[in-house]
Amino acid sequence: MAAKSNCIITIELGTNAVRVVAFDLKGTTIGSMKGSYPTFHTEPDYSEQDPEQIFITMLYVLKNFLTEKIHARKYDVVCICFSAAMHSVLPINKNGAPLGNAITWADNRGKKEGQELNESALGKSIYQATGTPIHPMSPLIKITWLKNHDQEKFKQTSKFLSIKSYIIQQLTGEYVIDYSLASATGLMNIHTVKWEADALAYAGIDAKQLPELLPVFASPGQLKKEYQTSLGLSSSTKILVGSSDGCLATLGAGVWEEDKAVITIEDSGAVRVVGKTVLQDERRRFFNYLLTEDCYISGGPTNNGGVIFEWFAKQFGDFSKPFDLEFCMENLINEATKLEPGSDGLLFLPYLLGERAPLWNANARGVYFGLNIKHEKQHFIRATIEGILYEIYSIGKILEEHRSIKALSVHGSFASLPFCTQMIADIFNKPVSLKKNADSIALGAFLLSATEMGIYKNLDEAAKTVILPDEYFPKKQHNTSYMKYFKIFERLSTKLNEEFEDIANMQ
Amino acid sequence: MNQFLLQQGSAKELQLFAHINEFALKRNNSIRLNSFSTSSESDCIRFYYIMEGKFEWTINDQHYILYPWDLAIILPGQTFGAEKGYLDIGTLSWLHIDADKSDPEIKMLLGKWSGISSGEIITIKKILWLNGNPVISKLREAGTIFQNIQNELFTQELGYSARVNQLIDELFILVTRQLTRQNNSHRDFPQTFLKLEKTLRQNLSHQWTVEEMAALVGLGTTAFNEKVKNFTGFSPLNYLINIRISEAIRLLKRNEVNVTDIALETGFYSSQHFSTTFKKLTGYTPSQFRKNNSSKT
Repeated sequence: MAAKSNCIITIELGTNAVRVVAFDLKGTTIGSMKGSYPTFHTEPDYSEQDPEQIFITMLYVLKNFLTEKIHARKYDVVCICFSAAMHSVLPINKNGAPLGNAITWADNRGKKEGQELNESALGKSIYQATGTPIHPMSPLIKITWLKNHDQEKFKQTSKFLSIKSYIIQQLTGEYVIDYSLASATGLMNIHTVKWEADALAYAGIDAKQLPELLPVFASPGQLKKEYQTSLGLSSSTKILVGSSDGCLATLGAGVWEEDKAVITIEDSGAVRVVGKTVLQDERRRFFNYLLTEDCYISGGPTNNGGVIFEWFAKQFGDFSKPFDLEFCMENLINEATKLEPGSDGLLFLPYLLGERAPLWNANARGVYFGLNIKHEKQHFIRATIEGILYEIYSIGKILEEHRSIKALSVHGSFASLPFCTQMIADIFNKPVSLKKNADSIALGAFLLSATEMGIYKNLDEAAKTVILPDEYFPKKQHNTSYMKYFKIFERLSTKLNEEFEDIANMQ
Repeated sequence: MNQFLLQQGSAKELQLFAHINEFALKRNNSIRLNSFSTSSESDCIRFYYIMEGKFEWTINDQHYILYPWDLAIILPGQTFGAEKGYLDIGTLSWLHIDADKSDPEIKMLLGKWSGISSGEIITIKKILWLNGNPVISKLREAGTIFQNIQNELFTQELGYSARVNQLIDELFILVTRQLTRQNNSHRDFPQTFLKLEKTLRQNLSHQWTVEEMAALVGLGTTAFNEKVKNFTGFSPLNYLINIRISEAIRLLKRNEVNVTDIALETGFYSSQHFSTTFKKLTGYTPSQFRKNNSSKT
């Protein structure tokens, strides 16, 4: 009789969907399954999700996945590790029932609160203590908003959870959050790894109203009996609290030296570096999140990634035949390749959704600049893509004031389009490695679990096992052209502040 | 084009068509005050097709401006008229179809004359009732159908009674297909799907079929199944079960509604069906789940 093989399962509670992936103990993917859930925008700046729907979708996907791919092939699940999108807030009442929907990272209702705190001395010291930029994305600001605008809910709230904390509580009964996800709440001190008293006082809550802090390697406890039975798992399956999507994506990208950076561009995007110290930036343009106690993931996020090109494709793509969106985007990119770098002098500021790093200006807006009578549709296509990637470069450029970056690793559906990957190499003038179809978040969660189990000595060793094939090399001439245009892009981004604010107030 | 007004009971052209309440073509050359004020309600489904001129109407308490080749659909019970109290100058044609009142639950059901299957008629009804915009712009095909009905009724050639009924069916099909297309952009399936999700959540107790859901977003069932599976990872019916159970969990935690009511409110056939589905997914029966989740924090 063949012995059962062991496997590790990772559960990623992402922005739009839950992804469940199984790995054997060598890190080879056995299979994966996803299920999506919607985001509701009931008011312009609101962005909410139904916690029960996320829970039931996760459970449904996990159960089907276990039945079809794991139990059927006689795998033993030794470990389940969680990752989740950062910055969500879910208030629950004293009975543990959610008070309405969860508020996601994209929610901007706390614009005013964010601006106020950011401009104060307290804001500066809270940022230095917590590593999270003072911005409506952060749970600190979201809870403050609830205190100021929804007193009733604020008073009824027994605990403020993250979506991941809620899901883990449903499964195990315990209210927990890992250091890593907690380091993105704006409420935890990344140096002492404790809830930060000043931040809590500002939000008007006490530490009892937050889940218990655990290291990323810790287990909150076992699955409840009923779930063990319905999922066909035993009490020996270890549950790991895990980390955040951003930190795990960096680990899974295998970028573990201080001279490398990871670029992720899906709908939104980020440029990240890893290090043993935080980045001290006078202008507070970076986040410093914690993965483990001596390991910081730092960088800058952008709102305007692939979602902007998708917007462009929806408006100007050819839908006369029954094409779907992906096909339309492909056709547009084919058009764009016909032009030289720089789109013959048409520039695009991609700030349709306001911008986080490096501008941190929620009122920033999109601009096409330099238009002349010879520009055609294809110029707009190429300029749009170039603008999105100039923005990414503007984050990378300020990171280089702190670290010398020699190579890049690229991830995410938009960044990994070959045309975009090459353009990133050209604009940054650095070699870029791309692992196709790689789910680096899941891989990061696997590496974390495998390290916890002793398969790797530590995360350094685990990260080194990630193979990075498919290198793209920069073309010198292209870089020279891009840099000429980037200079104007950069000046333009900060020149229009007054106009951005006026037009945003009129919209 | 000659004007005409055929009314059930008096017009012999309508003898074979009890379901056609009124069919007319009117060239309005002068304004007559207080001849067309709002509030006129009716049990019929009323179609108005504009041929010339510009008409300002209030339909179901909303203001609309109609131009040539636009079609308005007024459902039974909805108010209709002009705020100004008179009919604007221009040419228009209208057709009033009787809704079958034998089934009070389903406010509009076409009679036996219709060749559309009863399942599809329920879907058509759903689409018409959920539709927020009663005006379809530039629907010239509707004009052609009106013209053809008129020809059939006046020439009464062989087979005309079948033809007239077919043409009315065609009008219903044209209108519902057009509405789903108008309301759902194929450029943006996520957006379309989010709209569908909202509709499902608002009508969770309804026994949705895949055909109905597909029709609501203006797709055939095969394409719909494939797109939903691709986008969500679930088949449409499984996705619907997710929403039902999510809502059920919310209600279970509130400790106010009893389990049988939750089952029906969230669209399960019975508390038994609810209990089995719930347990299969969560390992708990609904009452166990309720008991287990009222722990204090």
